[in-house]
Amino acid sequence: MDGLAPLGVAAARVALLALAAPLVTGIVQKMKATLQSRQGASVVQPYRDLRKLLRKGTVQSDTASAIFRAVPPLVLAATLTAAAMVPVLFLPGAAGGARLPLGDAILLLSLLALARFLLAVGALDAGGAFGGMGASREMTVGVLVEPVLMLVVFSVAAAVGTTELGDIAARRSLAFRAPDLLALFSMMLLLLAETGRIPVDNPDTHLELTMLHEGMLLEHSGPGLGCLVLATHVKQIVIMAFSLAIFFPEGLAQSLAPQAIAIAAGAFCLKIVGLSIFLALVESSYAKLRFFRLPQFLGMGLLCAFMALALRLL
Amino acid sequence: MTPALAHHLIDDVGAMLLFTMILILGAGQLYRAIYAVAAQSVFIGIAGGVLATATGNSDLWVIAGLTIVIKAVALPWLMLRVIARVGIRREIEPVIPISLTLAIAAAIILLSFYLSASLGTVRQAITGNALPVGIALMLLGVLVMVSRRKAVTQMVGLFASENGIFFTAMAVSQGMPLIIEIGVILDVILGALVMGILMLRVRSSLDEDIADLEQLKG
Repeated sequence: MDGLAPLGVAAARVALLALAAPLVTGIVQKMKATLQSRQGASVVQPYRDLRKLLRKGTVQSDTASAIFRAVPPLVLAATLTAAAMVPVLFLPGAAGGARLPLGDAILLLSLLALARFLLAVGALDAGGAFGGMGASREMTVGVLVEPVLMLVVFSVAAAVGTTELGDIAARRSLAFRAPDLLALFSMMLLLLAETGRIPVDNPDTHLELTMLHEGMLLEHSGPGLGCLVLATHVKQIVIMAFSLAIFFPEGLAQSLAPQAIAIAAGAFCLKIVGLSIFLALVESSYAKLRFFRLPQFLGMGLLCAFMALALRLL
Repeated sequence: MTPALAHHLIDDVGAMLLFTMILILGAGQLYRAIYAVAAQSVFIGIAGGVLATATGNSDLWVIAGLTIVIKAVALPWLMLRVIARVGIRREIEPVIPISLTLAIAAAIILLSFYLSASLGTVRQAITGNALPVGIALMLLGVLVMVSRRKAVTQMVGLFASENGIFFTAMAVSQGMPLIIEIGVILDVILGALVMGILMLRVRSSLDEDIADLEQLKG
């Protein structure tokens, strides 16, 4: 097995996701604006923001240590590595025997957890009050979200018999049963929490009482902030592609023929737009929950995922 | 319909019943709980239809129809009218917090799966997961009744409990005698009427809440 070609494929996938990620954020923002009868910024606005941030200089607090400076590239690296593991265009067997077992769902989720941890450490290191508050809240949400994500993965993996994402996507096309509906419901709740959307967090505000994710970014500036913002975009598309891969793998190419890849790319775009519509609709029709109501909201997701697993195993 | 297909469909309906039960447990507002219990009754009707086709027991069609007409349409409509008249659509005031209720619910589901595993011989070919799902629905309905204060929500809990008993009876014994089922449905209607009239009367004559009746005991 030639290791280089698949590695190139993985790098191409990372580059593709990283390039497309700000566009998804832009599309969601544009849809929200349309739903709220506003004109809204152009869909390429996130790219312009990133370009602006990468050109600027950096300012940091006097109390910040080297960890603070190391955090943005590390967070971006962990998120991009996670992006190498989601099947986006084709199934693992498509290249004709040359399989690339990069990692599985558990590794992907732990890389995202690592990014979350590093971000919180960086926020604490700067010594600002908002950073500490944001970090504490983000970790509280993390405690509620990550076990449920694992339960969702296990409930699907119990049906398929592996936690390798490519194999899950390849084998589950037939059997979409009721336990999957339960797992899908809790995955949709988690999608809102993991992408920092409205019932959990408000992506548009810098108001100190409501922000979770923004609080941790406050002390960063310039290219560092650019890295973290890009990591946020990439995390969003990774979680979307992850839920698509375990619930709706239809359209993934079986071979590397150009037509099959083109169809797979079209299907992937359609599915991502579908999820973006879901996010925009939820964000326009619900109010943000009080922070202390979150355990109830995510508890329903936990119970659904738990039940999906129970129906599978018991 | 082949037994394997019926088995699959009953399992799927069971999962949807549990899903609607979670929605009832997590509902912060009364009308959501009522819609969720109406949806649950529709799924009970579907389960009745599936079992009627699979077993050829035509009584089950009558029961499925009655369940949909009465428990999925008429009684939810009555409850929605009552809460509109009384003017309570605000949040339910639970005796124990909703997130704790959800945790207890998880324990109850585990318990019912464990219990029914020891009743292996009772599980027949067609039932699959129906027995644990039915037991879980019954116990979770009781949990809703004891953990909420509003009479409407307690009624929703009673309906959910009822649905659990129906589901278990249909799936395990392939249908109770028709007369018993009709009697049970009459009981539910009577309970709903008493609840509605009591709430409206108490409200119109005293302008008080049902929970305040607790202070009357000696």
